[in-house]
Amino acid sequence: MHVLTRGVRPSIPPARRTGQCYGKHTFAIDVAQEAIDNFSRDKVKFGWKDGCSFEGISKTTQRDSRSFGIDVEHSLEEHIAAMEEESTELPGTDGLAPKQRHQAKHRELFLSRHVETLPATHIRGKCTVTLLNETESLLSYLNKDDAFFYCLVFDPSQKTLLADKGEIRVGSRYQTEVTNLLKEEPRNSEDLETLVWTPEHGLTDRQIDQFLVVSRSVGTFARALDCSSSVKQPSLHMSAAAASRDITLFHAMDTLHKSGYSIEGALSSLVPASGPVLCRDEMEEWSASEANLFEEALDKYGKDFTDIRQDFLPWKTLKNLVEYYYMWKTTDRYVQQKRVKAVEAESKLKQVYIPNYNKPNPALVSSGGGAGAGGAPAAAGKAGAVLNGGTNGTAAPNLCASCQVTNSNQWYAWGPQHLQYRLCGSCWQYWKKYGGLKTAGVFGESEAEAAKGAREGDETALSASHRPHRCTVLNCAKEFKLRAHLARHVATAHGAGEGARPVMKTRAAFYLRASPFTRLARRLARALRRPRHYAHSPFSPINLHQVKHECTLAMAGGVGAGIGAEVRGAARARGPVGAVAARLAAAHGGAAPRAQDWLTLTPRDRMPAPNHVAFPKPPKAPDGSLMYERVASRAELEARRNEPAPAPVLTPAPPLKRRAYDDINGLDMYYVVLQEPPRPPHPPHPYTMEALLG
Amino acid sequence: MAMQPHSKKRVCYYYDSDIGNYYYGQGHPMKPHRIRMTHNLLLNYGLYRKMEIYRPHKATADEMTKFHSDDYIRFLRSIRPDNMNEYNKQMQRFNVGEDCPVFDGLYEFCQLSAGGSVAAAVKLNKQASEICINWGGGLHHAKKSEASGFCYVNDIVLGILELLKYYQRVLYIDIDVHHGDGVEEAFYTTDRVMTVSFHKYGEYFPGTGDLRDIGAGKGKYYAVNIPLRDGMDDESYESIFVPIISKVMETFQPSAVVLQCGADSLTGDRLGCFNLTVRGHGRCVELVKRFGLPFLLVGGGGYTIRNVSRCWTYETSVALGVEIANELPYNDYFEYFGPDFKLHISPSNMSNQNTPEYLEKIKNRLFENLRMLPHAPGVQVQAIPEDAVNDESEDEDKIDKDERLPQSEKDKRITGEGELSDSEDEGEGGRRDNRSYRAPQRKRPRLDKDLAHHKDDTNNEDSKDDVKNVSNLEEPKKEATPSA
Repeated sequence: MHVLTRGVRPSIPPARRTGQCYGKHTFAIDVAQEAIDNFSRDKVKFGWKDGCSFEGISKTTQRDSRSFGIDVEHSLEEHIAAMEEESTELPGTDGLAPKQRHQAKHRELFLSRHVETLPATHIRGKCTVTLLNETESLLSYLNKDDAFFYCLVFDPSQKTLLADKGEIRVGSRYQTEVTNLLKEEPRNSEDLETLVWTPEHGLTDRQIDQFLVVSRSVGTFARALDCSSSVKQPSLHMSAAAASRDITLFHAMDTLHKSGYSIEGALSSLVPASGPVLCRDEMEEWSASEANLFEEALDKYGKDFTDIRQDFLPWKTLKNLVEYYYMWKTTDRYVQQKRVKAVEAESKLKQVYIPNYNKPNPALVSSGGGAGAGGAPAAAGKAGAVLNGGTNGTAAPNLCASCQVTNSNQWYAWGPQHLQYRLCGSCWQYWKKYGGLKTAGVFGESEAEAAKGAREGDETALSASHRPHRCTVLNCAKEFKLRAHLARHVATAHGAGEGARPVMKTRAAFYLRASPFTRLARRLARALRRPRHYAHSPFSPINLHQVKHECTLAMAGGVGAGIGAEVRGAARARGPVGAVAARLAAAHGGAAPRAQDWLTLTPRDRMPAPNHVAFPKPPKAPDGSLMYERVASRAELEARRNEPAPAPVLTPAPPLKRRAYDDINGLDMYYVVLQEPPRPPHPPHPYTMEALLG
Repeated sequence: MAMQPHSKKRVCYYYDSDIGNYYYGQGHPMKPHRIRMTHNLLLNYGLYRKMEIYRPHKATADEMTKFHSDDYIRFLRSIRPDNMNEYNKQMQRFNVGEDCPVFDGLYEFCQLSAGGSVAAAVKLNKQASEICINWGGGLHHAKKSEASGFCYVNDIVLGILELLKYYQRVLYIDIDVHHGDGVEEAFYTTDRVMTVSFHKYGEYFPGTGDLRDIGAGKGKYYAVNIPLRDGMDDESYESIFVPIISKVMETFQPSAVVLQCGADSLTGDRLGCFNLTVRGHGRCVELVKRFGLPFLLVGGGGYTIRNVSRCWTYETSVALGVEIANELPYNDYFEYFGPDFKLHISPSNMSNQNTPEYLEKIKNRLFENLRMLPHAPGVQVQAIPEDAVNDESEDEDKIDKDERLPQSEKDKRITGEGELSDSEDEGEGGRRDNRSYRAPQRKRPRLDKDLAHHKDDTNNEDSKDDVKNVSNLEEPKKEATPSA
């Protein structure tokens, strides 16, 4: 079974496929598993590498029999967010409304070569998955329910998404040389073929038929004369049937041809002096015991005729065996055997009953879509969430998070619990099937979508309760909930060049080689260049136009010949270090020092004393050595711990260390409480406090 | 069982009685025995006696290296199941081992399959036959120095190379469910062979055959790929096959046609995923035959062997222009055809994922590509004058096929209606593509000397009829196979 995965498309070079596909079946499984619904994605960790491969498929969220493939799936899903912005646009999205474009993304799956067996109960229905053709419009998928497309295939062995496209190779190693038209006569056919039959004969169909009957009669008679045959075919009927097999007929046709299509000549060669001609094929050639051996061998080795020949029937050739095998399949014995096997298989086949899927959905909000905020918290409580009703107030809880309707027969909790989103029945169905929301711009959707939604005035985006992170780039001002999202946005949307890389990826070090003009501009537009400012706010824009303008003005202003020198930045002759030092000293008004003056050390007592010493030196012993506190060795510490009561020296550290143990059996805690001094030297760490109270 | 005087053709059929007994190995889907089963059906249907039956020679290494590389053929010749271990490296290099196993008589099998197609091509070159059949051939995946998809030696390429010696342009059509990548690759950069493949595309062997693969270099636009999806039925297949092939005939104007009749596009195939019936599959043969060009039919895939032999038997009857009964005659393999013992099979209820819109879009895209051929439909293309002197035709050969023709060249091709004739230049060493397909509306008046080159009157009459039919191909024509 090929599991279908979903996600977005990076651009990947085509890979050549090898290996014959012996047949495959594609099933669709419910793409939005509960695992996705519950946003339990944190356990699945992936990293993109080189834009297309996974770095290790680490943990899986195995709660029940659901397994690997689906995890791949939602891990890929996870990468929707990471990749959407940088993904190459799907072909055929032009001319689609933003909403359609958004929904079209839900129709893309990734075929996986990972083969997996899932319980039949996971099957929710049928769907069609087809390779997207460039000529098609995505609309044709949106207009059909349960129609998905794919462009890329996930190869679990390489952990890569591939475009499953083979290539026709070009080069002299692949193409053939094409001959020019020849003028001489074509090759002689005689050495290429032997004529076995021609329709250009004087015989009528009737005559041929008659001759065939005669040859069969001769065959029957020959069998009557043949001792070995009479054992095998005790009745005349059987002899006649044996004589009617195709080998006799082919022989008859050959005879006719060889005798130049003269019936008489053919007849005489059917009954030569040695007696009537007897043609027997493998079927007849084989004795009953050989046939038994063959069946036995077939049972043992299957259809490995080389082995069968070696171990059972060494006096037969492989060709004998193959021919016999295909004829044996027409016999009663084979049919009987097949029937027995079929019955066995039938008895083995368990009726698979797939009950209607009516497992209570934990996401179902039981108290229906009542007005007011009361419904949702109650539902959340039912779903086992912690009651913290209404405190965050992030979104109006009585709206569908996707389509904003207020009326629905059923509501489903959706998204992280603290946000208390819910979906109406139809949006829930959509989410389960396509793993997305009908409309773009809600939590869980990508920022790119959200941004698009915002730009298009689609106000479905979160009314954020906390201060959003706003993009500082000019004319952008997109908002993001998380700082990381903003950083990614900046890197991808406003980064230099292609920029289509996740920020997380370590970049190769680069060397910025400024062009002469840039270097010139740095000098000419000095007023606009505020390096300190920009170092502090790396995202604030530099108005390039202004810089350019300034430059052109300055250049027009005739700095002229100076420009070249400025740009080249030729080294100035400053003289030797000693001379510079002398110059500097003169500039500061001091006396011209002797060359080595600045090298002499400052006397200790004239050194400036610091106001505060963080680690003052320990006191000195009378002998002048420093007195350090002794640090206990590990063994000593152990020994001290094992002593019954070093009580009052209890520091918060040991309980912290032992907390797990305390939590488990509480014994030590009792002990700790007993030993607890009335006022601990430091307020206990909150964790410790909890442990003590709990 | 009745003959149709009207589309009677001289049919040559190539078969070696040994071919059925080669065995790829346990569990391998490719079963050469299907060729023998077909042969026995042909005998018992009485089709055998209506054809010229030939036993092909075994193709020599020399013949095979016309396409394949020397070391690949040397390898095929020397490898046997008992010395496989010595060839580990080469087996990997030539992709022999898994899909393409080493089996007893592997080389002989290749020799017979290739020998049949080459002999058939020579037959067509000599114009000693109109239709040649080699069900043992059609191994379209084999590459220049690589085995692939159960194919070791590409008999089709060898056959086409033979045809190219005497025919200016050869059309290759592939109705196997798999892409005909070996043939396409071999002729990817030439404009003298157009390869047209109808195949399932998408997560399917061999992975090639995208709509956008159209050939390279001089061969640009000379590879036509029709990517299809699961569940193609007779109706959809014809709806795409007819317009594409008609358009190809019109623009490419081939002088000979090779049709690969892989039967794995039939419904219920072990590896295939189409839903064609024997009738729908045979319809393609019928349609191509109507163009009346020298025609080579080869086998190919097909892994539900009872249906393969049904299909190829029916297609042989189509080639012969003989109607055969639906009731299968008794033969050695009769029991295989149970429970109904009929020739024709019914499609399954699988859904057809090829919507009419999808096929339409594919078709339009391909038409756009075909329009790029030098013989664009917009340009009035005339058949080459029969009496063209040699140096002129050489001039024409130098012209880049990708370029528009210079006016002088176009002028040369304008021929008075009365000037057209068939085999006038035969034997004079001139152009041999005299039987190229020509635009249907033009009638070709026969000259007396034509008759000398044709076996009989009916034959010629009949090719004219075929040509006339072409314009009506779009409507399903019934009278092509009247029962009598």
